[in-house]
Amino acid sequence: MKRPLVVLTATLAAAGMLAACSGGTTTPKGADGTAASGPIKIWYSNNPNEVAWGEQVVEAWNADHADEQVTGQEIPAGRSSEEVIGAAITAGNTPCLIYNTAPVAVPGFQKQGGLVDLSTFPDGAEYIEARTGEAASQYVSADGDYYQMPWKSNPVMFFYNKAIMTAAGVDPENPPLATYDEFLDTSRKIVASGAATYAIYPSPASEFYQSWFDFYPLYAAESGGTLLVEDGASTFAGEEGTAVADFWRTIYDEKLAGNEPYTGDAFNDGVAAIASAGPWAVESYGDIDWGVAPIPTSTGTAPEETYTFADSKNVGMYSSCENTGTAWEFLKFSTSEEQDGTLLETTGQMPLRANLTDAFPDYFATNPDYTTFADQANRTVDVPNVENSVEVWQTFRDAWTSAVIFGEDEIPSALKDAAGTIDELAVKK
Amino acid sequence: MTTTQKQSPAILKNDAGSTSGKRRSRTRQLLPMALLLVGAVGFLFPFYYMIVGALQEKRDPTLAGALPWPSNMTLSNFTDINESIDLGRSLLNSGIFTGAVVLCTLFFGVLAGYALATLSFRGRGLLFAVVLLLQAVPFQLLMVPLYVLLVRGFGLGDSYLGMILPFAINSVAVLIFRQFFLQVPREMFDAARIDGAGEFRILRSIAVPLVKPAILTAALVTFIGPWNEFLWPFLITKEQSLQPLAVAVANFTQTGAAFHDNPFGAILAGSTVLAVPAVVLFIVFQRHFTATDASTGVKG
Amino acid sequence: MGLLLAAPYAIFVAAVFVYPLGLGVWMSFHDFYFTAPGVDVAKPFVGLDNYATVLSDPDVRASFVHVAEFLVINVPLTVILSLLLATALNSAIHWRGFLRVSYYVPYIAASVAMVTVWMFMFNSGGIVNQILGPLAPDPAWLVNKAWAMPSIALYVTWKQLGFFILLFLAALQNVPKELNEAASMDGATRWQSFRAVTIPAVRPATTLVVLLAIITGANLFTEPYLLTGGGGPNGASTTPVFLLYQQGIQQGNPDIASAIGVLLVVGVLLVTYVSRKITERD
Repeated sequence: MKRPLVVLTATLAAAGMLAACSGGTTTPKGADGTAASGPIKIWYSNNPNEVAWGEQVVEAWNADHADEQVTGQEIPAGRSSEEVIGAAITAGNTPCLIYNTAPVAVPGFQKQGGLVDLSTFPDGAEYIEARTGEAASQYVSADGDYYQMPWKSNPVMFFYNKAIMTAAGVDPENPPLATYDEFLDTSRKIVASGAATYAIYPSPASEFYQSWFDFYPLYAAESGGTLLVEDGASTFAGEEGTAVADFWRTIYDEKLAGNEPYTGDAFNDGVAAIASAGPWAVESYGDIDWGVAPIPTSTGTAPEETYTFADSKNVGMYSSCENTGTAWEFLKFSTSEEQDGTLLETTGQMPLRANLTDAFPDYFATNPDYTTFADQANRTVDVPNVENSVEVWQTFRDAWTSAVIFGEDEIPSALKDAAGTIDELAVKK
Repeated sequence: MTTTQKQSPAILKNDAGSTSGKRRSRTRQLLPMALLLVGAVGFLFPFYYMIVGALQEKRDPTLAGALPWPSNMTLSNFTDINESIDLGRSLLNSGIFTGAVVLCTLFFGVLAGYALATLSFRGRGLLFAVVLLLQAVPFQLLMVPLYVLLVRGFGLGDSYLGMILPFAINSVAVLIFRQFFLQVPREMFDAARIDGAGEFRILRSIAVPLVKPAILTAALVTFIGPWNEFLWPFLITKEQSLQPLAVAVANFTQTGAAFHDNPFGAILAGSTVLAVPAVVLFIVFQRHFTATDASTGVKG
Repeated sequence: MGLLLAAPYAIFVAAVFVYPLGLGVWMSFHDFYFTAPGVDVAKPFVGLDNYATVLSDPDVRASFVHVAEFLVINVPLTVILSLLLATALNSAIHWRGFLRVSYYVPYIAASVAMVTVWMFMFNSGGIVNQILGPLAPDPAWLVNKAWAMPSIALYVTWKQLGFFILLFLAALQNVPKELNEAASMDGATRWQSFRAVTIPAVRPATTLVVLLAIITGANLFTEPYLLTGGGGPNGASTTPVFLLYQQGIQQGNPDIASAIGVLLVVGVLLVTYVSRKITERD
């Protein structure tokens, strides 16, 4: 590094600080029907299937829109993507659309002023509700508007390993997993027989999102589709939540599940016989002979009435976008019936579209594995769209690890305390 | 510091009670050597396990999984990486990023370390405090403001410079150089000053050659930070053609967790690919480390 | 003159770090969150409110205790082992290169891979417990409230030892050979000459090692994040930086995070100041 460069840097720094402190001037918003059009940038998830889908949708659009070219870039899925988006919002260099916006992050991004209100497009709410149907209502923000386009879900179900079931002396085609008692009995057989080290092995780690794969699917099933927080108040400290917590605590107490962090995939490695996961996992379970069961409830709800967690990923339009008109048109193009069909085919994930199985009969005829998930996709709940939602889930997770995984607190009081804290968080601006 | 060195022989004479030299001198060599070798195995084991795991076709999390069973060996994890990553390009980016960071680190570090150790000037105490402060502040606290400053203030998004800048100052290096310049007897510098040499000349022709081990050390301990760094380069650049190897590998392993038959092997293979160039570099450079012989000049 | 030599560094620091650092401190006294450019929200001055929130939070207080526990184990262990190993490596005649590389390797390799290996060794059915047999703790190390932090301290010592060994090795290159030779001629045992020659001669390096071990230790983040699954078991291995990350980056409360950060930095500077007074005194 040469001296002049340093001096230059210093000068720039001064300018930079001024710029950073005074902030920008305007935020373009598609508030009226005449939102600008022109080239836009989008980000999509970096797994090979979604990249393939992203590349083809961009190509298909660009072929017909010479003046409104779309450029796609990859960002990593999961945890680091929220960090990246959060930083980009603050710096004002988000792309127009991000095809991997986690619903749990939406209230935070919205509070930062990072998201465009999709309901301000003349056909905004109408389009979303027509495509997604009734399920769209869970994605409405506190002010009654949509700040995210519901895109695709990964309804969580229980995969089981048929070979392990056989080795444990359990019917591999129809293992008894419908009620808590059945599930526990089957689990005990698996562990006692040594067919697998553990019956099930959800991550026992403390990240806020881990409850989506142990507590929440079971809670959705047990309560018949209740969200963690409804109308600004926690719902989980009652009978259903306690039943789910008791069930998991029995599992941990009897060492039917591991409480140590595990790197890798315990189901894939044959360490656990059952895994809670969505259809995205099908591909990674390639050489395992698996079956899939609905989420158990205390009394054994019928599969066609059982709810689960949606684990959806949505699309956000970000406020640094200048050509919101093009962005909105492209968003509709990429969530059209045709593109949803391509998404289903390339990724195996479920477009958040009403009556999925009727919309794509050919696909489900040739891919019966996915039909179960498509059917399940009709009965899902997602994370509640409330203030401080990450903190809400972290609060819940901390209570869960303490009372359920490590059994150090009494379940009713732990849930009640968490509910009290969450009631405050969910409405605190 | 020179005073302690001068005292040492005197202390020794008091301790020198025992005799019988030769027989003991062999055990003097053998015992520590044996311990060193045992220790080395303990330190190498994880690396070995990483490579074995990366070569496994199916993961074996049991104890037996630590052995390379030929029936379970495959190179597919590595060929997968090779297919999904532009290795040449990302190695080049890593080289530019890491190389520039190390150069800056050494340049700023030698200057500031020398000034802190041998010169007295106004603000020296403050400067030292700043060095410590910078090292003590968690990066997680600075990340977002730093990102905003570099991207909005300096307009350095999607550029090598934006990647390099936050790492170019490394307080560890300043501290290392300060400590090593402190070890050099002051009289050497004073003598040169009396002869009329300017500080830059002293620095170039006396100080720097004297702390060669320190320079090599600083380079070896600081290059690994940027080499393994994932989050910052990724934040600052979304252009794949600019992303260093650590980012490319992380992209691969993150998706690998869901899209490989042996996701775990993919992660370990990624780590291996990232570690191998660093280890090779270390092997090459540690020779010079040995070659810098002790007594050059420091006789005090 | 000194100012001139230090100027590039100082200017650079001013250019890159003054704004983020200043903003960090400023945030800790305000009700603040990051917003998109052009979004105007009130960021009222709240005095010491954030600090009060942080200090009254038992989780934050616990995290400081955890990191103190970590330092008490990690720093002495690091200093002693790295000095002993560096001295032994320096006098080794055979396989010098091989040995140096071996000890340096854990420091190079990515945390993700090394953490996995450590879990493999220390989980309930791992090598370590198999060797210990009935002596093994239950629950196993990383999910045992009493052992989680010591396990992390041991892991970090092991992972970073190569770095500190290098610092000592470099320092040992500056110890005149004559001193050791003289000691040997006088019939001093290895241990005697180690104590009388080596330790005093590398004292500045020792100061440096202590300083760096404290500072990096206080910034402990990756290990509780990866090794114990997010500060587990049940929050027994949280650290201030881990909570800072949760609050500031995951949960959008950078003001609270800054207060934790400022407290941590002040604490670290105090501890390093005291330790310098101890290790640098003659």
